[in-house]
Amino acid sequence: MRLQKPAIIGIGRTKFGEHYEKDPETLIEEAGLQALDSAGITRKDLDACYLSDYFLQVTNKIGLEEGFFSELLELHVPMEKTRSFSSAFLNACHGVQSGKFDFVLVGGMEKMTDRWDKIRDDLMLLEDPWSYYAGCTPEANHELLLKGYIKKFGIYGKQLEKLYLALAKISVKNHQNATKNPNAQYKRSITVDQVLKARNKSCKALGLFDFAPISDGASALILASQEAAKLCSDPPIYVLGSSSATDYITFPSREDRTGFMANTLAMQAALKQAKVDIGDIQIAEFYDQSTLLEMISLEDLGFSNKGKAWLDIDKFCEESYCFYEIGGRKLFVNLNGGLKADGNPLGATGGAQIFEVVKQLKGEAESRQVEINGDLPKLGCVSELEGFGTKAYIHILGRNQG
Amino acid sequence: MSSEPIERRVSYIGDRLRGSQCIICGKEYFRGKNYCGKCGRKSFGKMKDIDFFYGQGNLEVSTLVNQPTNRFIKMGSYIYGIVSFNEGKTRVPGRLTDVIIKDGETDISCFEGKNVIPRFRRRYAVGESDIIPTISLAFTVADGYYPHQKYEIHNPKKEYETPGIVGYGVYTSKFRIKEGNMERSVPFIDEDAVTAAVEAGKMALIHSGIDTSLIGKVYVGSESNPYAVNPIASKVVQVLKLGKEEKTCGIQEVDAVDTEFACKAATSMFKDASSLVYYPKINTTCAMTIGADNSQAAPRTELGGELDHFVGFGGSAFIFGMQDVIAEVEGWYSCTSDTPDFWRRDLQTYPRHGGRFTGEPAYFKHVLKSCNSLMKQLKLKVEDVDYFVPHQPNIGFPVKVARQLGFKEEQYEPSLKVANFGNVYSGSSPIGLAAVLDVAEPDERVVLASYGSGAGSDAYSFVTTSQIVEKRQRQKFTVYSQTKNENLEYVDYTTYRRLKHGL
Repeated sequence: MRLQKPAIIGIGRTKFGEHYEKDPETLIEEAGLQALDSAGITRKDLDACYLSDYFLQVTNKIGLEEGFFSELLELHVPMEKTRSFSSAFLNACHGVQSGKFDFVLVGGMEKMTDRWDKIRDDLMLLEDPWSYYAGCTPEANHELLLKGYIKKFGIYGKQLEKLYLALAKISVKNHQNATKNPNAQYKRSITVDQVLKARNKSCKALGLFDFAPISDGASALILASQEAAKLCSDPPIYVLGSSSATDYITFPSREDRTGFMANTLAMQAALKQAKVDIGDIQIAEFYDQSTLLEMISLEDLGFSNKGKAWLDIDKFCEESYCFYEIGGRKLFVNLNGGLKADGNPLGATGGAQIFEVVKQLKGEAESRQVEINGDLPKLGCVSELEGFGTKAYIHILGRNQG
Repeated sequence: MSSEPIERRVSYIGDRLRGSQCIICGKEYFRGKNYCGKCGRKSFGKMKDIDFFYGQGNLEVSTLVNQPTNRFIKMGSYIYGIVSFNEGKTRVPGRLTDVIIKDGETDISCFEGKNVIPRFRRRYAVGESDIIPTISLAFTVADGYYPHQKYEIHNPKKEYETPGIVGYGVYTSKFRIKEGNMERSVPFIDEDAVTAAVEAGKMALIHSGIDTSLIGKVYVGSESNPYAVNPIASKVVQVLKLGKEEKTCGIQEVDAVDTEFACKAATSMFKDASSLVYYPKINTTCAMTIGADNSQAAPRTELGGELDHFVGFGGSAFIFGMQDVIAEVEGWYSCTSDTPDFWRRDLQTYPRHGGRFTGEPAYFKHVLKSCNSLMKQLKLKVEDVDYFVPHQPNIGFPVKVARQLGFKEEQYEPSLKVANFGNVYSGSSPIGLAAVLDVAEPDERVVLASYGSGAGSDAYSFVTTSQIVEKRQRQKFTVYSQTKNENLEYVDYTTYRRLKHGL
């Protein structure tokens, strides 16, 4: 049996940030309608829906999202809910690849500010309970990862300052990118000085400007089989590779605590599936829950060697480029501003990452649009994590069928 | 809202840091596991129980947490990191406890790479009606106030005809408040009477060197049990694995009970413990008696606030038995009367007391009566007694009562620890006894007279044996080491109240 190649034919998202007036259904409705409109289909064309959110049960006391969605669309097709957008997307891909579905809606939403006072405790649900019992916070493991990294690779003195500066520049770059993203939570540029001051204030290596915020938002896309996609007027973006991997939830129990093995494994599998070389990837959306994770992702995904990412992006640091130059190739990362500046409404985040890559590949990213040697980018990848590297998803998207 | 089944499961593993090890490949796991992930099916039935309760780990990496999650907010800032045991065979998350991070303090690098000891503490704050969560994923540095000590079992060498003390331990916290000529022990914010009872019991086990399965009965005397209903003793038993362990159902084959009679709740049970181990028909080899209190006092500005000048924190544990005795119980005398000189009504946070009447018709009458009667009964003269240990509610009363009984300074002075620890309520006179046993020579007589408001007094006479000297080597955390220690940390009154109030 020949597998169908899934294609993204429509995509939509809301602004990320605080949506005090809106409930999660309103947000997903907005993103979903955009996706349907851009695909040029209607809800009645849908064969299935895959939804994602982490915390609606907790934040909004919604326990059976599919039912709400059925009511919203007045549809009775199969619906499944997962945690991350990437998980929903991967499942949708499987549905399309198998030939079971022709048109699938993938939608993610999150309403974190509805439980502002408790959301940091809720976030600990994504880490092992023993770490929580011992006093872990959503930020603490990032610090431990950084400490472990510095220790393992023997970085100190001037070199360490350079690493810290590299991390600060990542935040500056992402905020700069977000100024051109009308949907971003923080559409303002920041300076290295602000990042450093926030670190001083936090009394730690990473400060407020190193971490992604808490956000509300929704995103959606329409996935179609390549056969069905042909019926649409616009050329679609193909899912060339989509994969995931899993690691122990207990961070201290993992073999390597200076990176995420799951991310490496997922990337290898996705590259293999897409039959592309890592050097061919021109744009990427990384899961920068912290600036550190953007740097570590460069290593985990294979763009940089272990312990070397901060050196690889040295030039970017000095010249304040908006891209990384690694091994003579340009790599544009987090063109939408990343989780840091675009926002991080967990269940919708992956959708916004895919949104950006699709827009860039199609040449519809307006002022954010990048060109490589005068051409639109051809290949992009999306990396999404669940928990602190417990689950990793990679999607490789391309303008051509590959 | 806390879940009873979750609390049971978490504390069963977490209080003791239970784990398992594959006997084929040696791989270790924190938490129990029926098979080894590396060896697969062939390791079924080949997993050995291990725990890290008496272990020493290493703080590999750490970070400052100054914006904790909600349940940890009362702890203020703390250090969180990864602790490795057995050269990295097991890694667990951990919080450093007994560290007060000052505002703006950023450099915590001095803790990194240090050896650390797991400590049994409260886990975090919960609602006032919830089950109190505990865990031993709290750690203190091994080169600090509380030394790392292994628990080694020694086979008994000698059987005695009279029951007596076979081991003892004292625990007071690292923090002190110093006012005038008085220092008082202050709990860290995650400590309470339960954690103090466990620590004291742990010290007594280390000192006695007995197999924990030999303990048949546990008494915990306290008047500051954080629960109105729910024993401290059950926690002590589970954490210290006292009595024979019935693994299949997670039960310890031991009797345990809490007792309450103000400051004499523990000493009252010395005779019960002695009698029980002496009773020929039932084979109770050892019985443990703990007195532990986070001594309660209202703030100084409130009714009953006078106590706030004297209260301490800590615990003591004494193991009674017939083998390898270090001090034989020569005799006892107790007296009781209905004299409510100190009380706390149900649902009241702090006790009140009878002001000037706490001395004359209360403390002195009962202590003098029990002591005089015991000495008469045993036909002892003052000069037959090497050490006198009175209950120590303040600096003045014990000296006055000792003098009234005719004891000289050299007889009572070694036991007086109230100026070091404050009034440790149920642990008060037992800590005095421990201080004396720390220094006594063989064949010396120690007379103890406790006092419990309400009121009553227990007087005991102990005679030390030759084994007191050899067992002394097993305990590094002596009363002296807890009074004179370069790692003691002094706090101001506001901090003292905050820490004492706890989570």
